[in-house]
Amino acid sequence: MTAASQARPSKVASKRVGERQEALAGYALIAVPMLLFLVLNIGSILYAAFISLWQWNIRTGPVKFLGPNNYFNALKDPIFQSAVTNTIYYTVIWVPLTMALGLFLAVIVNQKIRGRTFFRGAFYFPAIASSAAISTIWIFIMNPFGLFNQVRGILGLNPLFSLIGFGPTQDWLGDYHTAMNGIIILNAWTTSGTFMIFYLAALQAIPHEVYEAAAIDGAGAWDTFRRITFPLLRPGHFFVATVGVIGGLQLFDQAVQIGNVDGAPANSLMTLVLYLYNAAFKRLQYGSAAAAGVLLFLIIFGATLIQRRLFEGREPTTA
Amino acid sequence: MHKRFLTLTFATMFLAAACGGTGESGAPSTGGTGGSGTPAESESAFDPASISGDVTLGQWESSPAEGTALKAALDAFAVKYPNIKVTQTTIPGDYRAAMVTKFGASDPPDLFYINAEYAPEWMSQGFLQSLDDYIQRQGFDTSPFFPDYLSIFQQDGVTYGLPKDGNTIAMAVNTDLVPNPPTTMDELVSVAQGLKGKSGLKAPMCLNPSLDRGLAFLYAQGGSLLNADGTASAIDTAESKTAVQWYMDLFKDGLGQTNTQLGDGWCGEALGKGDVAIAFEGGWLKGAMDAFPKIKWQFAEMPTGTSGTKVTINYTAAYGIGVDSKNKDQAWVLMQYLTGPEGMAKWTEGGIAVPSRSDVAVPAGFETIVKGADYAKPGSGFMPGYPDVLKAFGDAFLKQVTDKTYDAGPVIDATKTAITTALASQ
Amino acid sequence: MRSAPPPPEGGGTTPDRSVPGTSATSSALVAGGGGDAGVTAVLPATAAKRPEITVVGDTSRAWRIRIAYFFLIAYALLMFVPFAWTVITSFKTLEDSVRLTIVPQPFTTAAWDYALNNLQPNIVQMFFNSFVIAIAVTITNVVLGSFAGYAFARLRFPGRGILFLLVLATLMIPDQLRMIPIYSIFNSIGFNKGVLQMVSIVIVLAISASSVFLLRQYFLTIPKDLEEAARIDGAGHWTTFLRVMLPLASPAIAAVTILQFQGTWNGFFWPFVLIRDQSLWTLPLGLTQFRLVGGFGTNWPPLMATVVLATVPILILYMFFQRYFVEGIAASGVKG
Repeated sequence: MTAASQARPSKVASKRVGERQEALAGYALIAVPMLLFLVLNIGSILYAAFISLWQWNIRTGPVKFLGPNNYFNALKDPIFQSAVTNTIYYTVIWVPLTMALGLFLAVIVNQKIRGRTFFRGAFYFPAIASSAAISTIWIFIMNPFGLFNQVRGILGLNPLFSLIGFGPTQDWLGDYHTAMNGIIILNAWTTSGTFMIFYLAALQAIPHEVYEAAAIDGAGAWDTFRRITFPLLRPGHFFVATVGVIGGLQLFDQAVQIGNVDGAPANSLMTLVLYLYNAAFKRLQYGSAAAAGVLLFLIIFGATLIQRRLFEGREPTTA
Repeated sequence: MHKRFLTLTFATMFLAAACGGTGESGAPSTGGTGGSGTPAESESAFDPASISGDVTLGQWESSPAEGTALKAALDAFAVKYPNIKVTQTTIPGDYRAAMVTKFGASDPPDLFYINAEYAPEWMSQGFLQSLDDYIQRQGFDTSPFFPDYLSIFQQDGVTYGLPKDGNTIAMAVNTDLVPNPPTTMDELVSVAQGLKGKSGLKAPMCLNPSLDRGLAFLYAQGGSLLNADGTASAIDTAESKTAVQWYMDLFKDGLGQTNTQLGDGWCGEALGKGDVAIAFEGGWLKGAMDAFPKIKWQFAEMPTGTSGTKVTINYTAAYGIGVDSKNKDQAWVLMQYLTGPEGMAKWTEGGIAVPSRSDVAVPAGFETIVKGADYAKPGSGFMPGYPDVLKAFGDAFLKQVTDKTYDAGPVIDATKTAITTALASQ
Repeated sequence: MRSAPPPPEGGGTTPDRSVPGTSATSSALVAGGGGDAGVTAVLPATAAKRPEITVVGDTSRAWRIRIAYFFLIAYALLMFVPFAWTVITSFKTLEDSVRLTIVPQPFTTAAWDYALNNLQPNIVQMFFNSFVIAIAVTITNVVLGSFAGYAFARLRFPGRGILFLLVLATLMIPDQLRMIPIYSIFNSIGFNKGVLQMVSIVIVLAISASSVFLLRQYFLTIPKDLEEAARIDGAGHWTTFLRVMLPLASPAIAAVTILQFQGTWNGFFWPFVLIRDQSLWTLPLGLTQFRLVGGFGTNWPPLMATVVLATVPILILYMFFQRYFVEGIAASGVKG
């Protein structure tokens, strides 16, 4: 304790009081939300972790202690394995696809063009309907004799499709080869507007001077985009990718509405959440469902951490 | 601070889920009332007219017409038993999941529907109240029920549900295109051959690439899923293999397509829209076809196959009472009425459902369906874990059809594995 | 609202992310700030000259704009065609609905009659139920979200980082997993009768991590000077929050409003789990029941009519609030 610090005890004391007040204010403000989160959310995952160690009767509770067996059985179950591959396939394809689409739209809308507000609104439009409504529309359009197949016939595109193995009445959503891709396209369409808006924000955070300087240096449009705009969007990429992955790994609604509770056709739409749902409500193996839930949580958490490392861990690059 | 929250919530949840019940799974409580309402002595007779109170009825509703028919039955019930008030709870969407959630919270409706599909599971898990006591004390006669309907809701000799209606799968033909419905499978094949390429038809028949209709064909052609005492798989016997391949060949030869290939929601729609000339459905088809007045059609019995005997499969649902239901006596009164001759007649007379008792008049147009009840084998709920078997068969079969490889081998293998697993987990 | 791939949910786990741009720009270029709040260092060269940069490559720019318009219009059409087709189909007959006719032949409102008459409970009741729940959930999210968002953004307290991580972790738990425990909880406290069923839904949805996250991000972008000025004037934390920060956060609040209202309005899951009385059904429940009119297959025209019914209110809401909302998400989504 130096003389200097001894000389100003009141300032230190009041600072600490101020800190304590601030902390109290903080806790007070988060009290109700945190209580709700803990009881309604965090509590469930802990509960699930506990249940996952048992054979659990939904009505009467624990039946037999199984230890890690639920986890082993799940990992060995070919349907669970399909669920993992399907879910990861979906996420790995859908997230970058929608990001690219969103970015593309954002860059275009970011130019000073007429009707910009209208376009911005139009592109967000598909995201506002409920998933049930959108799935219904999609099933209607992708019916073997529905809008899409009829229009491509009229436009004379069928030979092109035949080349890649799709006949004129291809059952897009009923064929297990294409059903998942059908959902990817559906969800890319509906969410592209949302991602576009996030990217728009990030784009608008880039000051004009950057572009001006680039133009002075003689950079063309593509160069500017590739070497300046794209890297500057890193926080945007991070946000969108994380949001996308968390949502993508939990795909359920469209899989159930377009297929059925069994992941039809032929298990191609079986996702991890659907597997969980089936284990709990169809096979009545609640412990197994809980194990699947915990595994899913760990996968999502892990993916988020990896992304954070990928996006935030890099050193700054020079352009 | 956080730890305390966690412990508290954790404990709350644990308590909420763990309380109630005997702590042993699969040990249903026999008899007893366990709820409010006039307690009746175990030994004395049960007189439904003496019971009063409330009943909640958990149900799904497949169509507005069905709602009307049920209402008619409930109104008649109210007249006969004015002291019991019924409140309906219609569950939209996934009925099974909603009900399981309620079982989990020990909060089921007093009386509710049970579909054959999940009856075995619900019984094994101890969700359902045994009905033997009520049946005995009231002297309720269960012999008029078609045995293959009732057996689905019995386990280890105990009855847990009474079938509220029943359906069998029959053949439905477009009478303009098929004036004489085939009576054997061979005839069916030649009729279908004749219809191939007919203008206006997308395919001769609409077939489901799954056991939910395929089982009837499997039986008809002499195959089976289980051996005689239900202890082992019989899907890999020579007869079964031939039968499955025969069914597969219907797709291969272009005699039948799946409903999704046809662009229809189900085979009934395919028949109604004129996409096919033959479909295989149950009594529910009749109401659906009212939306397609242009098509003239009729039911016909399932053609006989190489097994030589008439056979088909049935689908049914029952009423049941939960172990944790609060008003069991009152629920029983409602159940015995709705599944008794009077109530069932009211329920089925409009043609919305088909009776599951032989002493109830057959509504017009359903003669074939009811005839089928004499020789129909259960189409679901006859073995534990059947949904997994169904899924295994269906996934493998659909793959063969989609890939146009039409090989029954992988289907047999997948189904066999599923059956063995299902039987083993008991 | 975790049905369709969600709008802003989840996100980074670092509370104090660096301002965008600083980590990725070279020293030769400008270091960008956080948008409106940023201070940019200007290159001496550009400051002096301030040229018209459109001189070089003028024609290519014009072409780029034309191509942009082409894509925009094509894509906008792609956005609208399915919905337009839905509306048109709802005025067709069943036979006509599978044909590619743009004008219904014949034009009929029979499907609408059927849909409106067969929805149970009636459509007005369902609209009301949906509306009440959606409004309540929106209000709680705005209130609780801004409380928590502000606290996580601007107040320092021990464990803030971990707690925020916990908040984000709630997004990683699927609803299906919590279905039975939550049902049990509300059942055991007796929230399963009458209006309490709706209250229980509101409680479950009362605060979403996405609301907290969104508002926190936005609060982070408000310059500290404003707070400090208020502090100097003697305002306590609460007054600062209420009088200074909250009014400034209106775009983010508008965003939360729209997202939560829309999500709750379209939400099927929790009403499905927690409502028993048919008179309290929300719109998605009634429409699902209608859709699954089992075995009666795909009667497209009335089905499409119900889709339109479900979407129109949100469409109207969206058109009014679009401006605030889009700016709101934009302002809070990605800034550091």
